[in-house]
Amino acid sequence: MSGLTFGENVVASLPRPQPLRRPEIPSPIVSVRGVVKRFPMRRGWREIARAPFARPVATVLHGIDLDVAPGELLGILGPNGAGKSTLFKILSTVLLPDSGTVRVDGIDAIADPVAVRRRLVPASIEDRSLFWRLSARENLLVYAALHDIPRAEARRRSDELLELVQLADAGTKLVNSFSSGMRQRLMIARALLARPQVLLLDEPTRSLDPISARTFRRFLRDVIVNEQRCTVLLATHSAEEAFDLADRVAVLDRGRLVATGRSEELVREIGDERYLVATRAPEHPMFAELERRGMSGAARRREAAADGWTMLELEIAGGADRAAAVLDALGGAGVPIARFERLQLSLADMLERIVARSAREDRHA
Amino acid sequence: MRRAAALLYASWLTARSYRVQLLLSVVALVGMLIPLYFVANALQPMMASRIQGEGEQYFAFLLLGMISLQLAQAAMSAMPTALSGALGTGVLEALMATRARMSELLVGLSAYELCWTLVRCVALVAAGVVLGAQLEWSRVLPALLIVVLVVAAHVPFGLLGTAFMLAFRAQSPISRVLTLVSSFLGGVYYPTSVIPGWMGHVSQLIPLSYGLKALRAVWLDGASLGSVAAELRMLALMALVLGALGVALTSLALRHVRRVGGLTHL
Repeated sequence: MSGLTFGENVVASLPRPQPLRRPEIPSPIVSVRGVVKRFPMRRGWREIARAPFARPVATVLHGIDLDVAPGELLGILGPNGAGKSTLFKILSTVLLPDSGTVRVDGIDAIADPVAVRRRLVPASIEDRSLFWRLSARENLLVYAALHDIPRAEARRRSDELLELVQLADAGTKLVNSFSSGMRQRLMIARALLARPQVLLLDEPTRSLDPISARTFRRFLRDVIVNEQRCTVLLATHSAEEAFDLADRVAVLDRGRLVATGRSEELVREIGDERYLVATRAPEHPMFAELERRGMSGAARRREAAADGWTMLELEIAGGADRAAAVLDALGGAGVPIARFERLQLSLADMLERIVARSAREDRHA
Repeated sequence: MRRAAALLYASWLTARSYRVQLLLSVVALVGMLIPLYFVANALQPMMASRIQGEGEQYFAFLLLGMISLQLAQAAMSAMPTALSGALGTGVLEALMATRARMSELLVGLSAYELCWTLVRCVALVAAGVVLGAQLEWSRVLPALLIVVLVVAAHVPFGLLGTAFMLAFRAQSPISRVLTLVSSFLGGVYYPTSVIPGWMGHVSQLIPLSYGLKALRAVWLDGASLGSVAAELRMLALMALVLGALGVALTSLALRHVRRVGGLTHL
C-alpha cells in the first residue's frame, strides 16, 4: 500500500512496464489469473470530515498472471511494497482478491479455501506464531491435530520432521529457549507436517545471520525441493537469493509482474556485465585498446587503495567467455591484476533494467 | 472437535508452564471469599427476609452470585480476548494455514478461559461449602443445566465482541458494560426485587437476572426446574436470538476482514 522504499527513485519516472515473458506451463499446480487487490486507504479525521463518503483505495496488485509448475522453486522478487506478501496471503486464502482467479491443483481458492489449505501451506516467518511455552515436539503435535493427522502418525511424523530440520536433540526443549534459526526451522517443519504440495516462504532468511541463511538455503534446495518434491514459492527482496535458489524468477514491482523467466536466462539477459578489476596499472594502454576493439567499455576508476592497487570498473558484454578473453589480453599485456570479479546485480539496478527494457519493447511494438 | 481440543491442550500447557501464576489465581479467588463470608454473616439478619425464595442464607446467595458473574464474564470476554492475542502474535495466521475452520479455531482458542473459570468456580463452591454455605446437593444436576444456560446466554455477547474485534481491531465495550450492569442490576449482591423504579425494568433485560433467580431457587431452595421454567425459557430465548445475531455478525465481520486484510498479523 505504501510507496516503494527501495529502488523507488530509479523506476518512478519510467513508463509502466509489461511482463517480459510469460512462458506457458501445461499443467500448473498454482495458477493465478488477473488477480487485482485494492485496500481502503486510511484517512485522517480532517479528510473524513472534508469528504465523508469518499472511499479512496490503493491498488496493491494489478492483474497478476502467474503459473507455477509442480516441483518448481519459483522466486518472487521485488522490493518492499511490491505486493509479494499480499499475493501470498491471497494464495494462502487468508485474503480475498477483488477480482481474478486463483487455482491450486485445479481447486478454486476462493470457493474452496479448506481444500486449498490441504495442498498449499504458507510457512509463517513470524516466530511469535509458535507456542513459545511448549516444546518443539508439542508444537508440532498441536498442529498435526489441526491438520487431522492421526495421533500415531503425528508422533512419527513430528519426530521425522524434527530430524529433517536438525532439531531432533532439541525436540523436548521449550521454544522460548531456541535461537531465531532454530525457530525458523521449526516453522518449516510445522509447514511440512501436512505434506503440502506447495510451500509458501515469505522472506525466510530475513532474520537469519549470513551463515544460518546460507545453511537454510541449502536445506531448502536439497531437502524441501529435491528430497520432499515440494513446489516452493519464495518471496524475497534479495536478487542474489532468488537467482541462486530459484528455477524461475518472477519480478514484482508496485503490484505488477514485470518479468518472469528462468533464473539463468534472466541473469544473462538483464544481469550485470560489470567487472571489478584491481590493478597497479590503471593507465595501461591495454584498457584503451580493449575499448577500441569493442571487447569492453571504458575503464572507470572506482577507488585507489593505499597499497597502490586501484579498483577499475569494466563493462564486458558477452558473458564469461568474453570476460576470460579480456582477462587473458590484460595478462598477456603484462597488466598486474590482483582481482577480477563480476559485480553482483542489485535489485534496484535489475528493476531499472527490466523497466527500461519493457519500455524499449513497448516502443518497438 | 479434536482440532478445538488440540488448541485447548496447547493453552493448558502454556498456562501450566506459569506454575506460580496458576496457583495464585486459585488461591486469590478462594482468599477473596473469606472477607465475603464475614460480611455476609454480618448482613444475614437484615438480608434473610429479602432473599426468601432464593435461599435464606446470604453467604450462599452471594457465592452463587459470584460464580455466575465469573462465568458470564468469561463467556463474554474469552473469545474476543483470545482472538486479539492470536491476531497480535501471528498465531491466528499460522492456525488459518491448517485445515481447521474459523469456528473451530475460535472455540479452541477461547475454550481454555471458559474451562479454567469453571475450575475456579468449582474451587470457589468447595471453599464456600467448607465455610458453611448450605447448598441442596440433590439439585446439582438441574443447577448445572442452569449454569450451562447462563453461559449460553452470554456467549453471544462474546460473539458480538469477536465481530467487533475483527472489524475494528479493538476490544468491544459491550462485554465491559454488560459485566458492570450485571453486577449492579443482575442480582449478584442483592435480589433484583429490591432494585427500585426504572432500574428494575433494566434488570429484566439482563440475562444474569434470570439465570441467578433460577439457580438460587433450584440450588439453594431445592425448587424444581418446572417452577423456574419462565426464567429458563427467557435464558434459552436470549441464547438463541442473540446467538443467531452473534454468528451472523461474526460471519459478516470475517468476510469483511478477508477482503480488507485484517486477519493477518500486522
